[in-house]
Amino acid sequence: MQDGTSARQEIALRIDGRGRRPDSVRLRRLNILVGALSLPLFVGLWELVSRSGAVNMVLFPPPTVVAAAVLEWMRSGQFFGDLLASLFRVTAGFIVGGALGVLLGILTGQFPVISSLLSPLFHILRPIPPIAFVPIVILWFGLSEAGKLFLVVWGVFFTVWLSTHIGVQKVDRGLIRAALMLGTPRRQMLQEIVLLGALPYIVVGLRTAVSISFYTLVAAELAGTFAGIVYRIEIAQQNLQTGQVMGGLAALGLISFLADRLFAALAERTVWWR
Amino acid sequence: MKPALASSPASVEPARKQPAIQVSNLSIVFDSNRRQIIAVDRLSFDVAPGEFVCIAGPSGCGKSTMLNTIAGLEVPFEGDILVEGSRVYSPRPDVGMVFQQPHLFPWKSVRRNIAHGPRMLGKSTTEANAIADDLIAMVGLKRFADAYPNTLSGGMQQRVAIARALANRPRVLLMDEPFGALDAQTRAVMQDNLLELRDRIKATIVFVTHDIDEAIVLADRVLIMSAGPGRVLREVAVKLPRPRSNSIMVEPTYLALKKDCLDVIRAEGLRAFNQSDAS
Ligand SMILES: Nc1ncnc2c1ncn2[C@@H]1O[C@H](COP(=O)(O)OP(=O)(O)OP(=O)(O)O)[C@@H](O)[C@H]1O
Ligand SMILES: [Mg+2]
Repeated sequence: MQDGTSARQEIALRIDGRGRRPDSVRLRRLNILVGALSLPLFVGLWELVSRSGAVNMVLFPPPTVVAAAVLEWMRSGQFFGDLLASLFRVTAGFIVGGALGVLLGILTGQFPVISSLLSPLFHILRPIPPIAFVPIVILWFGLSEAGKLFLVVWGVFFTVWLSTHIGVQKVDRGLIRAALMLGTPRRQMLQEIVLLGALPYIVVGLRTAVSISFYTLVAAELAGTFAGIVYRIEIAQQNLQTGQVMGGLAALGLISFLADRLFAALAERTVWWR
Repeated sequence: MKPALASSPASVEPARKQPAIQVSNLSIVFDSNRRQIIAVDRLSFDVAPGEFVCIAGPSGCGKSTMLNTIAGLEVPFEGDILVEGSRVYSPRPDVGMVFQQPHLFPWKSVRRNIAHGPRMLGKSTTEANAIADDLIAMVGLKRFADAYPNTLSGGMQQRVAIARALANRPRVLLMDEPFGALDAQTRAVMQDNLLELRDRIKATIVFVTHDIDEAIVLADRVLIMSAGPGRVLREVAVKLPRPRSNSIMVEPTYLALKKDCLDVIRAEGLRAFNQSDAS
């Protein structure tokens, strides 16, 4: 009894108000501090190295030059045109490719005949990197927006199709049997059980497709266009404006990071029972 | 289904004293890798209306297969299954099933899981929810009506599964080792719960279990099956008084019954062992 009480007091002493042990709290604070300093530290280092004369400043401009290039890009009004053009391609391609992927994934996952018809074709086309389609897309569509859209849709579609297909097939047979026993008609099984059962897989597929849509955007814009972030990077490269190139890369990174975060937050809400 | 068997259900006499379940000459065969597995071989038994029958038998003897066939989830190779006098072709709402795993819909709250059946039978959401709330009270889960299945313990999940199976007011309730995955203590509580529930719902119950104690505590009659393919080895009538609880396990009459059952099971185990040794 005595021992039990003293052990409990001991634990109480070692746990702070939030119920964590003090040394773990100290460690967390240290981690947060280091995390907050990480970017400024590397940016500072980059500035120093660039200006030290050890590297060619034209090829490896310091962050201040990059920032100036980005500001100039924004002030010239080109930035928002580029941003809009790129965002449109990514978003439209993602929505069309994702919708087609989910639709066909449900069809091939649910109906063996449709799967026998389409799956072999999809499995042959799927491993071909979308970038390899650039030449034929230029032949088919020229430099039009349709060609850009085609590439992004192509990249997004297969990932979403495959994960939806697998999700539908992996729906717990036990759930379907339970639903049958409760009088669920077979024709309502899709909406009552299969779709929701496959939802976690579909969401994972869509999230992977977010980054894929940015990869294919790069291919699409390198194939030749008149506006877009990657297009701007390419133009800057031809003019040896390295600061502008790096600014473009940073903008691309930031946008795709934000898109991924946004989708992750959305996904959390979609699979509400987790 | 064989055409010879497909006489219309209307031709069956709806006599008052007909059994709730009639299994006659039932065989079930699985095709796997060009080999045929006989899971159930010419099995016959009846269950009276309102009776509680437990089926005990070694693993792999075809208990689940047989139960799934009564439920209409599996098609018989030959033989007949009549429930309430009409032949089973497919799952039907007057037959409820509780599986070994709860198989709750993870995206539905406890209430909406239980309301699913009534909703599928055309009840309005309000009616279905009212039915669900009654059953939630009956299985003692009022505090968890809005919880999602993954936040419940195994025993609580299985209580929801039982309530869900009862929501369509089935005449026949089939239970396939529903407490098999639970620890001994929870299982004892669940057995008492089920005995209480049964006094209120008056359904015919067929309950499959490995556990001979569980069989005797719950049943009016225990059917002991042979090793696969399953036949009925022995029927043991359990004439212990009701209402019952788990605590009858220490009564001398209970122990005598248990010894009977264990003797049959041991003899069968020995026979199956010698047979597999010989072949
Ligand atoms: N879908 C299937 N395909 C092929 N064989 C099957 C299938 N389902 C069951 N079997 C076979 O039928 C036999 C009976 O299986 P069943 O699951 O009915 O046994 P059981 O008595 O319920 O066993 P347990 O007590 O372990 O649950 C086994 O030999 C099994 O291998
Ligand atoms: Mg089984």
